[in-house]
Amino acid sequence: MSSMNDKLNEIMLMAGQFTFSEITKRQFSVNIKSSGLLSVLGLLRQKGFTHLSLITGIDRLNDEKFEVVYTLFCWESGETILVSTLVDRKTPVLPTIMEMWPVARFYERDVHEFFGIVFDGNPDLKPLILENWSEIPPMRKDFDPHKYSKEHFPDRKYNADFLPEGGGEDE
Amino acid sequence: MIITILSAIALLILAFAYTVTLEGIARKIEARIHRRCGPPFWQNFIDIFKSLTKHSISHGFIFDFGVLMALGGTIATVLFIPAGNLVVFPGLDNVFVIIYLLAIGLLGMAMSAVGSGNPNASIGIGRALTQMLGYELPFMIVLLGVFFHFRTSSLSELAVLQNSGGTYNVLIMPIGAVVGFVSLMGMLGKKPFDTFIAPAEIASGPLVEYSGKYLGLLMTQHAFGTFIEIGLFVNLFLGGGKTIWEFLLKFFLVYFLAVIISSIMPRFRVEQAVKFYWKWPLILSFIQVVIVVFIMGRRV
Amino acid sequence: MNNEQTAWERVANMLRARSLWMLYYCTGCGAIELPPTMTARFDMERFGIGPMATPRQADILLVTGYLSTKTLRRVIYSYEQMQAPKYIVGFGSCTINGGIYYDSYATINRLDLYVPVDLYLAGCMPRPEAIVNGFKNLMDKIDQGEATGWKDYEANYEWYRKNQIDALGEVYIHDEFHE
Repeated sequence: MSSMNDKLNEIMLMAGQFTFSEITKRQFSVNIKSSGLLSVLGLLRQKGFTHLSLITGIDRLNDEKFEVVYTLFCWESGETILVSTLVDRKTPVLPTIMEMWPVARFYERDVHEFFGIVFDGNPDLKPLILENWSEIPPMRKDFDPHKYSKEHFPDRKYNADFLPEGGGEDE
Repeated sequence: MIITILSAIALLILAFAYTVTLEGIARKIEARIHRRCGPPFWQNFIDIFKSLTKHSISHGFIFDFGVLMALGGTIATVLFIPAGNLVVFPGLDNVFVIIYLLAIGLLGMAMSAVGSGNPNASIGIGRALTQMLGYELPFMIVLLGVFFHFRTSSLSELAVLQNSGGTYNVLIMPIGAVVGFVSLMGMLGKKPFDTFIAPAEIASGPLVEYSGKYLGLLMTQHAFGTFIEIGLFVNLFLGGGKTIWEFLLKFFLVYFLAVIISSIMPRFRVEQAVKFYWKWPLILSFIQVVIVVFIMGRRV
Repeated sequence: MNNEQTAWERVANMLRARSLWMLYYCTGCGAIELPPTMTARFDMERFGIGPMATPRQADILLVTGYLSTKTLRRVIYSYEQMQAPKYIVGFGSCTINGGIYYDSYATINRLDLYVPVDLYLAGCMPRPEAIVNGFKNLMDKIDQGEATGWKDYEANYEWYRKNQIDALGEVYIHDEFHE
């Protein structure tokens, strides 16, 4: 723990303007601006957090922003850091981190397909999981999956004699 | 002439019925080893006949012809195995004839499997031929020892000589018999040497594109192949049999031993299998041949 | 439902019912109930049912659980590669009415609009006892000549094809490694 605190203090001294918050004993999270993303991730990588576990996105519809979270892991001390940035919802653009971690190519492809966030410098932003998808990216909060499912995949119609009083077909 | 045809038909029916029943009994034995009830012992008959009632799809002329060649070659080979005192072609059953005819069966299957176009089939056939490189070598060396000692290479004569001499080959050349048994398990394709079928890895290997009637024919060919290989072993090392019932009993014992060894073993990779065959079985077969040639001499 | 079978068909159906080979298309989470059914406790091999690795030789296509659109294209390919007579068993409630994924943008809701289903097993997921009971029902259906899904598929191919294109867009599989 003390080494972790020392490391964090060092990073804060070097980079300045942000603070770490502790989630549990070995998980920390930090929120930074998207302009300083590459430098902070590079710094964390030099400090021992060499394993990129996940890149994922959250849709903050009320604030009109997307939040992108990078999960980094340190093998020697077993600590996890969640680095999150906010990008604008209308034109979401972020720099790619493919040079530091080659596996980020697939995570960024996934986030691009499901949220629509463009990663500058990633040459390979084809769809990864869905095929023939022609609507808005499905993980956004203004996409209604139930309506889509009713339109495209017909349901089974049951006879009305075993539905409860007042219940419709499938609501 | 009539006797030959009748005894040929009798031998074929006996080989088919007995081997398929034994395969069903083997499934039952394996199930009991796993502490469960297994299928009934006639299950393999139902499997073969059900396959013959399904529709099937062909992939061209080589595909069809290869299946016929495999089945025809194997049926021709079965007719040369003496089963007790049921010998179809007396005087013509040489071990080398049998080995030559066995190759037609395997070649037919290889041709049609490659003609189907599926890469899984080609991988399976490649593995089968590589494994054949492995088990043929120690087996041939032990056979040379047997031929040297008995001055003959005719199967029915070997069986008669063992019976009249009183001792079976497994007692006078036990190392050779063990090497022969290990090669037999490779020939039959039982675990740990069943890498060329490998159901979960390469989707049944060479059998991957056969449907319906082709599969029924190939399962029949597999049954005949089992009869040939175990019949060869029984005639060479266990004395054949004075009557046909003795032959069938010895057949059952050898098959039973192979089944209970294979039901608890995992599977070798093909290079591990070849390395295994070229290490201890090869050394033991050399030792056996040295003992036979220099110490035992020829049988007087 | 033609219950008058010729003697040959009766013998053939009796043989088919007692030696069913399953293609383990483990599409969804229902596949976790298959290993207990196959192993020593609820032994399924005593009915003659065994695993088979390739669609060309299998009799039953076991659709276990939810089907996303991506998987449905491949299931249709596998089903059309199987040789007649062939049966489909829909396993779990996701094949009946969508199950707990009824409002998902990627999974289908009714399986028998796209391929003909002979037997459904309800449950999420059905226990091995239910699976064995279901297979016994399937064997009875085959014995009486009522499991004719494959004939339905050939007779009403246009209708199935229209449903498939409506839901999927196209049934052609784009292979990322070869394009």
